[in-house]
Amino acid sequence: MILDPARAWQTAMEADAASLLPGHAHGARIAWHRGRTIDREEFLSHVHQVMRALAPWPDYVINLCEDRYLFMVAFAAGVAQCRTILLPPSRAIGQIADIASGYPRSRRLTDSDVGGVLSNAAGSADLEVPVEHVAAIVFTSGSTGVARPHQKRWGDLVLHARLAARRLAIDASDRVTIVATVPAQHMYGLETTVLLPLIAGATVHSGRPFFPEDIRCALAEVPEPRILVSTPMHLQVCLAAALEWPAIECVISATAPLSKLLAAHVEQALRTRVVEIYGCTEAGSIASRRTVEGDLWHAYEGLTLREVDGAVQVSGAPLPDAVPLTDVLRLHGTATFHLLGRHSDMVNIAGKRASLAELNIRLTEIDGVVDGIFIAPESSADSVARLVALVVAPDLSENEILAALAPRIDPIFLPRPLHKVEALPRTDSGKLPKEALAEFLAQIEAPRRTHRQ
Amino acid sequence: MDRTEQPTDIRLSPLELEVARLIVESLNLEDIHAEDIDPEAPLFNEGLALDSIDALEIALAVSRKYGFQLRSGDDNIHIFSSLRALSRHVNDNRSSG
Repeated sequence: MILDPARAWQTAMEADAASLLPGHAHGARIAWHRGRTIDREEFLSHVHQVMRALAPWPDYVINLCEDRYLFMVAFAAGVAQCRTILLPPSRAIGQIADIASGYPRSRRLTDSDVGGVLSNAAGSADLEVPVEHVAAIVFTSGSTGVARPHQKRWGDLVLHARLAARRLAIDASDRVTIVATVPAQHMYGLETTVLLPLIAGATVHSGRPFFPEDIRCALAEVPEPRILVSTPMHLQVCLAAALEWPAIECVISATAPLSKLLAAHVEQALRTRVVEIYGCTEAGSIASRRTVEGDLWHAYEGLTLREVDGAVQVSGAPLPDAVPLTDVLRLHGTATFHLLGRHSDMVNIAGKRASLAELNIRLTEIDGVVDGIFIAPESSADSVARLVALVVAPDLSENEILAALAPRIDPIFLPRPLHKVEALPRTDSGKLPKEALAEFLAQIEAPRRTHRQ
Repeated sequence: MDRTEQPTDIRLSPLELEVARLIVESLNLEDIHAEDIDPEAPLFNEGLALDSIDALEIALAVSRKYGFQLRSGDDNIHIFSSLRALSRHVNDNRSSG
């Protein structure tokens, strides 16, 4: 039985607190961890155990668990005690350190912290979380150079998960198992691999399979029906591997647009249907489409889109405030749209998003870097081209600059290549016109191209 | 460069050279010559500074050329710890190429 989302929120608000795992009845399976199932009672006993064993808990927790089940236990243990889980935009140690320094009453939690205290202790009482409690703060790359926090209240997360579950037709009675290649620390992974399981009653595989063969094995390990949660980049690699795939009910893709061609090939080769989710860290997932059916996106029931001051905003019950979207959308009414492209400052490499302005700040912050700029590649949706960087740094080598960048940004944004230059083609007023930059870059790259020919 | 004067442990075996070429080609590493890669140097984070996306590309190229699938596992860190380690893994698992 899928609750009507609007009523669910009403109910959730009237009740001051919402159950930690409303999706699971007694005895239901919540995770597939290291080759065996973990049911609701065992999960709750693990949560209680972790709550006790890792006391005292500071107000904020940076959950770095890579094992999805341990992440979920740590998340639940923190949230059930009204702590807030911080989710940095990347695992770059500099970024994590920056966030930690902004929250002095915080600690990191890793797989060994959480895994090390799990036992089969008794005590599997249900846990409740006040709907107003800020369960998580997710951070996005900000164009000012400072990561921007976005608060997610527990009640909003519950309602949002119900909207998503309704759209994806996931119901506890289906007993689906989710296998995912994406990390739990980002909004997409948090929604699909932590919140959907807790709130909509799915089972989740605790791994984060990487190579196509790993993904195939993880899927084969769990019973049907199976859902694969992944990204265009990973799907493309899986397709190219030409493996025999187990039965998959549905493939969910997000983080970057999926081409119709790739979606069609995946549907054919994996004998499944491919559903794309569109969303962002700020708003969570907001729309979906069956890629092969057409370009139009359909917002979840209960969400509304409208144009305000030249940008599209999304609003609805799970969003305390209307959220402006950073992409360029063409609306058709308030619930349907075409996705035209990204705001020029935003870059998406292999499904990870960043502000170019922020990356430029990280680059020019480096001691010895006098000037510098990242340039986004002209790439097709399915290939992974990297950022190029032009850097003025007379006293540093390329390797030194790269080494200085590495702790500051997600590795996917490290430039390939990084060109050291004498100066950038700035105008007298310090601006860097797009055409001048493109011409400048072409000149730098031309000798290489002719050499290769 | 006179190769006979290099210490033995950084000379590439034929398979290592072949795998080095596979890496350079599949990743479009424009400025790298396969024969200059230090077989004992790390492939990830330092050395060639490859990342996880590159690992996927390499896995695909390896499966096409040598007929087996790379897998993560306890020994995965070691497989990618150097060109030498990766080549050893290819040698142990290849079914073609």
